[in-house]
Formats: sequence, C-alpha cells, structure tokens
Amino acid sequence: MTPIEEAVGDFAGDVDALAMFGPSSSEHERFTEAADDSELEAFVVAPENSVSADEFIELPLEFQDIRDRIRFGIEGAMGRGLLDEGDVVVCLVDVFSDDLDAVVRLRVSESLKSGIYGLFVNSRAEPAVIRDVLELVIELGKKGQKGEPVGALFVVGDAGKVMNKSRPLSYNPFEKSHVHVGDSIVTVMLKEFSRLDGAFVISDEGKIVSAYRYLEPSAEGVDIPKGLGTRHMAAAAVTRDTNAICIVLSESDGLVRAFKGAELVLELDPEEY
Amino acid sequence: MAALGELLAEVPNQLFLAAALLIVGIVLGVLAGRVNQRLLTRLGVPDAVEGTAFERTMRSFGTSTVAVIANLSAWFIIGVAVLAAVSVAQVSYLQALSARVTSLLPQLFVAVIVFIVGIVVGDKVELLVSERLKGIKLPEVNVLPQIAKYSVVYVAALIALGQVGVQTLALIVLLAAYAFAVVLFAALATKDLVASAAAGVFLLLRQPYGIGDEVRVAGERGVVQEVDLFVTHIETDGEEHVLPNHAVFREGIVLIRE
Repeated sequence: MTPIEEAVGDFAGDVDALAMFGPSSSEHERFTEAADDSELEAFVVAPENSVSADEFIELPLEFQDIRDRIRFGIEGAMGRGLLDEGDVVVCLVDVFSDDLDAVVRLRVSESLKSGIYGLFVNSRAEPAVIRDVLELVIELGKKGQKGEPVGALFVVGDAGKVMNKSRPLSYNPFEKSHVHVGDSIVTVMLKEFSRLDGAFVISDEGKIVSAYRYLEPSAEGVDIPKGLGTRHMAAAAVTRDTNAICIVLSESDGLVRAFKGAELVLELDPEEY
Repeated sequence: MAALGELLAEVPNQLFLAAALLIVGIVLGVLAGRVNQRLLTRLGVPDAVEGTAFERTMRSFGTSTVAVIANLSAWFIIGVAVLAAVSVAQVSYLQALSARVTSLLPQLFVAVIVFIVGIVVGDKVELLVSERLKGIKLPEVNVLPQIAKYSVVYVAALIALGQVGVQTLALIVLLAAYAFAVVLFAALATKDLVASAAAGVFLLLRQPYGIGDEVRVAGERGVVQEVDLFVTHIETDGEEHVLPNHAVFREGIVLIRE
C-alpha cells in the first residue's frame, strides 16, 4: 500500500456505519459485503430502492445540495435507530457523476439535525403530498409568470384547523372541486396559481382545499432569519399555531423555503432542479 | 417408361385427387400458422402473456404461447385436409371413423383454444391481482390471486368441456353455488362500505360541510379535517374521529356557527 492509499484509507478507519447515496447494484453489492465483513451498519439513501437494500431510506427529492442530502440520510437513519449520537459514519456520495465518487466522513451529532427528514416523515400530511407540493412550488419558482418572479405560500396538512383560523380574501376557486396536488391537471393550472393572492391550503391527503386564504396567526415569538418578508412570517407563525407545515416561494429572492414548528427547515433554489 | 405409365394408369384417379388435397392442405395449414403467428404478434399477444405461468412453461419447452396457438391452427387445417383426402380416396374402412372425427374435430379445436386462452387469462388475472395486492404485507392475501386464477380456469374448462359435448351440469351447479357464495359474501362484507360510498358521493357533490367547518356529527363535535368517499375525519382537541359517511348521513349533521 502506498502512503497516499494509507492516508486516504484513514477515512474509513474506526467507523460505525456506512451510508450509500444512490449506489448502482454492483457498487451496493461490493460495499455491503465489505461492511458486513467489518461488521458495520450499512444503509442506502436513494429516491427508490432499486438495489433492494435491506435498510433503505427514501429520498423524497433529489436534493442538489449534498449537505441537504446527507443531512436527510443521517436524520432518517437516526430516526430508524440505525445511528446514534456520536457514531462515526462514512457516506459514499455521487457528486459529479452517477457513480459514487465522493467520501464524506462525519460524526453524528444533534447539530446535524436540520429537521428535513422530520419535515417529510413526521408531519401530519403524507410524505408524498409534501413532495408533490414541493415539486409544484419548485416548478412555479422556475417558471414564474411571464418571466417575472412570483411568490406563493402553501399550507400543508391540518387543513381543518388552518381553515378555521383563517379567513377568505375572495371567493374560493377550489370550492366544490376535488383537485389533489398530485393530479396532472394541477400542472396545467400552475399559471393561474401565481395570480392568486393569499395562501393555498392543502389537506393531509393532498386535496387543494382553498386559495385566497388570509392567515391570521399571531407572530409573537416567531424567530426566523431577519430580512424575510411578511409572507414568510405568516408561514412560520401558522406552523406554530397548527400542526401544518408551510412551503413558501419567495418573490424577492426566488428561493423555496419550508417551515415546520415555526422554524426554517429547508431552503433550496428552484433553478437547481 | 411405358411400364411407369401403365403403373400410373392403374392407380385410381381419386388417389391423385386425395394426394393433391393433402398437399394443398399442408401448404394452407403451414401458411395459416405463419399468418396467425404474425397476426398474434402484431396484436401484442406476446406482451400481454408475458410473465404468465403458461408462457413460462411453454418457454421451458422451447416454444411460446403464440407459437403453440399458431401451430394448433396449422394442425387443424392439416387435419381437415387429411380427412378430406381420406373421404375422397374412399378408403372404405376409414369412412365410418372419419364421419365421427369430422364432426368432432372443429369442436375439439375450439375446446383446446378456449382452454389455452382460459389458462393464459387466468395466469394474467393472477398476476394483475397480486400486483394490486403487492402493497399489503399480509401472507394470507396471497390466496386471493390463486382463487381468481382458478375461477377463470374453471370457467374456461367448463366451456371447453361443453364444446366437446361432455355432460357438465354438475360442474355448472357447482359454479353457480360458488358464484352465489361470492356474491352473498361480497354483499354482506361490503354493505357498510357501499352505504358509506353512496353517502360520500352526496357529501362530496353537495358539500353540506367543508374542511374547516365546525360540526357535530353522530355525537362528535369538532373541526372537519378531511372528507373522502368513505369516511369523514373530525378533530377535536387531541382526538381525531373517523366517522363512516353513512353514519353522518343517518344521524344528520349539525353545523355550528358561533
């Protein structure tokens, strides 16, 4: 072994677990065997379990930011009891190509938790619904209206309470309609969405309950980064008063942000997707 | 040369006719087989039967469902040609036999085709049902696809037997009893579901209450969280009541306005 191999090999020394982010089946086989031989916990984080791994954490979204992806995987593994605080985990990630081409070694700690995993898995609304809304907002952020950036606010889950605590700004265009966020018609309606003011309310099962909703939560004690506008403030405050989560498209900087429990959990740039 | 001519003259004319018929029959049969194979392939039959047990068995014999059916049609035509040739050649001891075989052959052909189609469709039904039930991780559920498969095969076998003229009355009675049991069982088991769905259609169309309204239904007061075809979710502090829609309908709805 050359000195450089030894030095780089230190990355894999004294670890407790191995995380594979989107491995191919041959890579998966090779690394799982290696992990089994050295008695490591091995798990796969990917959009779908195409390698039929035993321990699998589903990525709801192909996070472009590697840190988000790793955070999600680690949080998911902690939630499943695969990892504990203080464990050292080696992550194999595909950064530049479809093959695993990067090694990240890190120690699991509470500070790694950003709540991304909890946003999808431990929310009232179903993970698929949250993913659909997020995709919708990303799409909306990419397209805008006639090239102009638009803003939008989606409240997802706990719709009864949200509706009960808000008031209509105008007639609800979704009254007596049964449109769900995953429906193909929604992408056609996307252009219309950007024109509507107020918040969209989505139920636990993905039904678009209302648009034109004026949220009236008290913003007292809500602590979000300074510089975000009233839309974000309202979104954060609603997630404190109810069990809903909020997904916001910012009109000024074009970023998509998700709030849960009055905290900013996720921030991503729609242009990257 | 002359001897050969004499020999040919000795042979009765019918035999030439019979031989010609036989050759034409074989050519026609092979052609029909080819055309059928093309036709079935064009119709997308290979894709449709992909993955069924019958197709897999055929594959292990080095053939395929399409080839088997095409060959069957070829053999059927050849068989008819042979019979025609026999009757033209007037081979007396074969006459009596061929009369019965002639009447039975088409029926037998249809019966075999029906049976094969039945088995393939049965396999396909099994695949489809098990695909639908894939999400349910319950070992006992695996019985359902099997039942569906054998029901289809049983009906196919009945039709096939009926074609050949076998007495099938007892089997039909059995089928009727089975069908009756299934219908009765389904009706009993899904009575409440059907009632809920009927009420659910009304609730979804007319929306007497919507998500976010405060209501009292069947003694439970709370905020409506979700209304779908079968149930209504009503939430109070820390409790979520899932009420079947027929209960909502039967007991009436109280809309609460402060």
